[in-house]
Amino acid sequence: MAERLVEISDVTKNYRRDAFDIKVLAGVSMDVSEGEFVALMGPSGSGKSTLLNLLAGIDRPTSGNIRVAGQSLGALNDSQLAGWRHRNVGFVFQFYHLIPVLTAYENLELPLTLTKLSRAQRRRKVDLALEVVGLADRKDHYPRQLSGGQEQRVAIARAIVTDPRLVLADEPTGDLDAGSAQEILDLLAQLNEEFGKTIVMVTHDPRAAERARRELHLDKGRLHSAARH
Amino acid sequence: MIKLIRRNLLRNKRRTILTVLSIAIALILLAFLDLLLAAMSGVDSANASRLVVRHAISLTFSMPAAYEQRLAALEHVEGITIMNWFQGRYIDDRPENFFPRFGTDPDTFPDVYPELEFSPGAIDAWRAERTAFIAGGALAEEKGWEPGDVITIEGDIYPVDIELTLRGIFTHPTDEAAERVLYFDWQYVEEALGNPGAINSFYILLDSPDNMNETIAQAEAMFENSPDQVRAETEAAFFLSFIEMMGNIQFLFSAIGLAVIASIFFITVNTMAMAARERTTEVAVLRTLGFTRSRVLAIVLLESLSVGVLGAAMGLAFMVLTAGALSSFLASQGMTFSELRLGERTPTLVMGIGVSLGLAAGLVPALQAMNMKIVDGLRRVA
Ligand SMILES: Nc1ncnc2c1ncn2[C@@H]1O[C@H](COP(=O)(O)OP(=O)(O)OP(=O)(O)O)[C@@H](O)[C@H]1O
Ligand SMILES: [Mg+2]
Repeated sequence: MAERLVEISDVTKNYRRDAFDIKVLAGVSMDVSEGEFVALMGPSGSGKSTLLNLLAGIDRPTSGNIRVAGQSLGALNDSQLAGWRHRNVGFVFQFYHLIPVLTAYENLELPLTLTKLSRAQRRRKVDLALEVVGLADRKDHYPRQLSGGQEQRVAIARAIVTDPRLVLADEPTGDLDAGSAQEILDLLAQLNEEFGKTIVMVTHDPRAAERARRELHLDKGRLHSAARH
Repeated sequence: MIKLIRRNLLRNKRRTILTVLSIAIALILLAFLDLLLAAMSGVDSANASRLVVRHAISLTFSMPAAYEQRLAALEHVEGITIMNWFQGRYIDDRPENFFPRFGTDPDTFPDVYPELEFSPGAIDAWRAERTAFIAGGALAEEKGWEPGDVITIEGDIYPVDIELTLRGIFTHPTDEAAERVLYFDWQYVEEALGNPGAINSFYILLDSPDNMNETIAQAEAMFENSPDQVRAETEAAFFLSFIEMMGNIQFLFSAIGLAVIASIFFITVNTMAMAARERTTEVAVLRTLGFTRSRVLAIVLLESLSVGVLGAAMGLAFMVLTAGALSSFLASQGMTFSELRLGERTPTLVMGIGVSLGLAAGLVPALQAMNMKIVDGLRRVA
């Protein structure tokens, strides 16, 4: 068994809306090993995105602890956490969220501008990532000049250009037609198998979930693992 | 990052251009107001040791000629002369023919204007001939006058037409505007009017600028119980009060200036707020990618700052290109107290306002972007 990359222990998350506290996560514990491809499923509003966001360090749990590669996220302040995200997490959104005023190439270069890499080093990394997602010929295109599937592939390239250990995807195929969705899933599987990326993917689509090596179900703020394979 | 800011500015080109343009125009207006104020305060040609005494009620009232003797007796007075604004019409009503023409006393005038240089023999010729006049070098050149030329000025305030012969030229070492003036012997008009002995103002040169306040107080106190009380002020202040006859210009200018700044501020704030609102999700994405709060703050502020600085730079460029033309235009309009000069003050003011405008307008959106929770920013789209 590989090293445990993610350890979530007894995490709760409440959102305050007006005077009410909404309990979204009611004590979730789970581990993800290095090199795993996990699908996170569950009905709408069950807290899948919330859990993924906590894992990505873009939100903080109400209680409980999250450790990634031995680092406890709760111990980091905001700017340390930003740096941590930059080095360790690649995030793929349902709606791609590329920066519209930047070309594909520039979108990938953007996170690299936070590093000390030279322009030539950045170019090498960007070109490689675009190569991996098969869009090397589209690097000068703006997002609006790309199809949804292509945009999502650029977004995946952006997520891996910094070479993070953990790739998190929130319904990456939710906005795509079946063909494009298939390509995206192939790409994620390839990242997992060939490049050894650990992936946690939120999805509604059972066929998408099948591509993962492990399925987890979230319901009413609690986690149920569905054994498979 | 610079690229991102630049592209964001170009994202809505029309909006950015309109905002930059309105800032530029507003700052141009502001700069001209500032230049005019500076020119009007007559800082250049006003002599710090010179004092002007006039009627307490208004410049249009006159004082008895006998006041001259009494003022001359004050302790620190080095020289005193009379100065009457004749106005009148030279040739026609075109603005370029409206330059100041003063009736004074050739015997005492040079005592009060030690900084002026007169052409050889000018003073003697002027004193010897009642209808002689002297003109500033710049004015004579502009009108093409040569010594011996005769000009006629039709009276309007005073019901007298005067015919004057040019007998000399004077120059000022630093201020060309001080040379766009004509002086003649007031005795000419005085006699034509039947010797009323009414004087608009007395110009006094003191032994030192340090004695200014003391002498002002003494002069005003001297006539406190007379029917014609007087007001004494520095020459620079007098220039201003002269202008203020046409309305309280200084106040008006400041009010206009403030209104301009305020409106341009709201325009810029609105632009930046709109730009920021459109980009809430993008800011959340940047933060997800690992951009820190302070970096996001810097990006938004820099964008806004560039708008302000661009506007100011455009305004300044325009000012530099047109200051010369404007200066001669104003001179032709009779605004001859001082030359409009784009010194250091006005460009600094314009840039300063541009920078503060940019920063101030960007501050609220920048702080909002910085303090936004990433998850809230991401949730807004769906
Ligand atoms: N920032 C927030 N503020 C307030 N309530 C929130 C916030 N984020 C999520 N919630 C609430 O928490 C609950 C879970 O939301 P979450 O987005 O995690 O669900 P989800 O499982 O991802 O749903 P979906 O499949 O529809 O994306 C929902 O009731 C949602 O309204
Ligand atoms: Mg969700």
